[in-house]
Amino acid sequence: MSVREKAAAVSEARPGEEAPPSRRAEARTAPREERPSDRATGPAPSHLRHLTRLLASEIGLTFRRPRNLAMLGVLAVVPVLVGVAVRVASGADSGGSLLSQIAGNGLMLTFAAFAVMMPIVLPLTVAVVAGDAIAGEAAQGTLRYLLVAPAGRTRLLLVKYANVVVFCLAACALVALSALVAGLVLFPVGPVTLLSGTTIPAADALLRVGVVVLYTAAGMAALGAVALAVSTLTEAPIGAVATSVVLVVVSQVLSAIPQVAAVRPVLLTSWWGAFDGALRAPVAFDQMGQGLLAFAAYVLVFGSLAWSRFTSKDITA
Amino acid sequence: MAKRARAVRWGVPVAAVAVVAAAVGTGPVIAAVRSDPSLPDRTAEQLLADVARTWESGRMPPMSGTIVETASLGLPALPGLSGAPGSGASAASLLSGSHQLKIWYAGEDRFRLMLPGEMSETDVVADGDTVWLWDSAANKATRLTAPAAFRGGPHGGPHGAFPPRSGAASPFASPFATPEQAARQALEAAGTDTAISVGDVVTVAGRAAYQIVLTPKSADSLIKDVRVALDGEKLMPLRVQVYTKGAAEPAFEVGFESLSFTAPAPENFSFTPPAGAKVEQGTATPPAGHRPEAAAEAHDRGRVVGSGWDSVLVTSLPDVPAQKQDGKGRDGMDVAALLDGLKGAATPVSGQWGSGRLLRTKVVSILITDDGRLLAGAVTPEALYRAAGVKE
Repeated sequence: MSVREKAAAVSEARPGEEAPPSRRAEARTAPREERPSDRATGPAPSHLRHLTRLLASEIGLTFRRPRNLAMLGVLAVVPVLVGVAVRVASGADSGGSLLSQIAGNGLMLTFAAFAVMMPIVLPLTVAVVAGDAIAGEAAQGTLRYLLVAPAGRTRLLLVKYANVVVFCLAACALVALSALVAGLVLFPVGPVTLLSGTTIPAADALLRVGVVVLYTAAGMAALGAVALAVSTLTEAPIGAVATSVVLVVVSQVLSAIPQVAAVRPVLLTSWWGAFDGALRAPVAFDQMGQGLLAFAAYVLVFGSLAWSRFTSKDITA
Repeated sequence: MAKRARAVRWGVPVAAVAVVAAAVGTGPVIAAVRSDPSLPDRTAEQLLADVARTWESGRMPPMSGTIVETASLGLPALPGLSGAPGSGASAASLLSGSHQLKIWYAGEDRFRLMLPGEMSETDVVADGDTVWLWDSAANKATRLTAPAAFRGGPHGGPHGAFPPRSGAASPFASPFATPEQAARQALEAAGTDTAISVGDVVTVAGRAAYQIVLTPKSADSLIKDVRVALDGEKLMPLRVQVYTKGAAEPAFEVGFESLSFTAPAPENFSFTPPAGAKVEQGTATPPAGHRPEAAAEAHDRGRVVGSGWDSVLVTSLPDVPAQKQDGKGRDGMDVAALLDGLKGAATPVSGQWGSGRLLRTKVVSILITDDGRLLAGAVTPEALYRAAGVKE
């Protein structure tokens, strides 16, 4: 969003000033509703309404940004690429790995897509959105205009994080959806063989796809909290994004070194892979539950870090 | 903003870190406090007798649980030994790091062992005479006909704790008339080189457990003691720990992380090879714990010097260039590369016995002499030198 638009959005809060009829500016309609009389009569519902409007406008902005749309496009294309590659190569017997199982069953493409994209592609997109959340506004000089709105820094941060969570969920759902469609088009679909060798009906497999989507989205949301915390530390969005991605890569490198296996349980990345628990019989809820606890711990620690920094820092831009 | 307010704000993340650290740290503490383990006192003899009686009366209770194996043997990073990350099913990779194994047990011939990997899984499913070995990464199901062929299971390692009735090495095998006799016999047999005592009651997987501590009497042994935790109620082994001299943490540990004595769901024991999987009629045995010296032992030229804890395996080095074809171990370990790695990591030593290279780990000392012998044992290097000095 440009400075002009943000300024326009804020100006809507002031009665008597005309807002330019820009579509993007209309996305930020929330402050307009915030009249002193409203607050006097019922603060709580008004705040809630205000928050949801602010969130809606944030989400609208996120999903209308060309850069984010391009990333979502990549997320949608990668499963298709995997599917096409397997389809083209399916003549040769590739030895029975997960990828070759796709050739027999389109639904497996969903799980294969997550296995392929979990390490870097998904985290990268989340890091871009979350790392940009505060630092991007600061870099463009729009952060102080945002703070003019009577939302308060804590609420603004909450809205920013909620927006990141929504993006994580959308990104993971998009990957699953794209993989499902590609799998349906390219391969036969039928009962799915789990990692345990058990075969389950396709409807059950769809349910498990849903579990995988929710779990991976939770894992990405935990990374989002880290990136958001980094984002409050800097005014260079690219720095926040890069830092988050580097953190992801470093922890993946660390978990690959057997000598430092002891740190594995505290690394965020080592819990991402636990989504394969949904592919076992019985479902490894214990592993995934531990993963969710680890994600919650990350959100708690880095969320509070972001809050401390954001509510105490001087906004100079 | 005032300095104090700022400090308070920064206190929040600090508190959050503290809360998380406490939550992570207090899990075991709470478990330990809650069931502050108290069990009736038993002497080693009584305990062994009770154990023998329980085992002879047959059944282990139906249960399901998670077993965690942790090895920090102090091995150098050897090619072919450290499995690629993610290939959790590699037997050699069990020698370093921590590994998880799930077990569902309904009876001696109805159980399932599951070794999860990243997006892969290895299963042993036994239902009566039918035993399946399933490897999801290879999409291969192997049907084993002889249930006895896989005793110990893939987690066996040097001190496989389960199933307890599997090994002929069990001192409680039937020749003894009563459990008391068996216990006395076992104590006497062990008495010459092992001191057996009962350690503190511990909590394993949330259950109070007795500890039997086996302490080698030999000064040459690298092993300080081996602690076997036995469930206080069911007298089933819950954990085996191997402590080495001068280390506070066990060098090897296999034990239950969680355990529940409820009958597992029957679908765990029914295995049908999925469509499209390779099905083999196997004589294949699941890989047992694979040690470097075991790889050499596969050449069938090893002999054991000494007895008990001081046993030293003496074997001649495989003639690497000549045996290039069968240079691969049973589970694909490249023996030649492994030996090169061993030599690279070892330090040159010499003495009256000759000269060679010595590799010291926490549990095992390995000596490769220049005249082509390989000596290995859980003993001090000096004991290896003595063994090396004895010519065949």
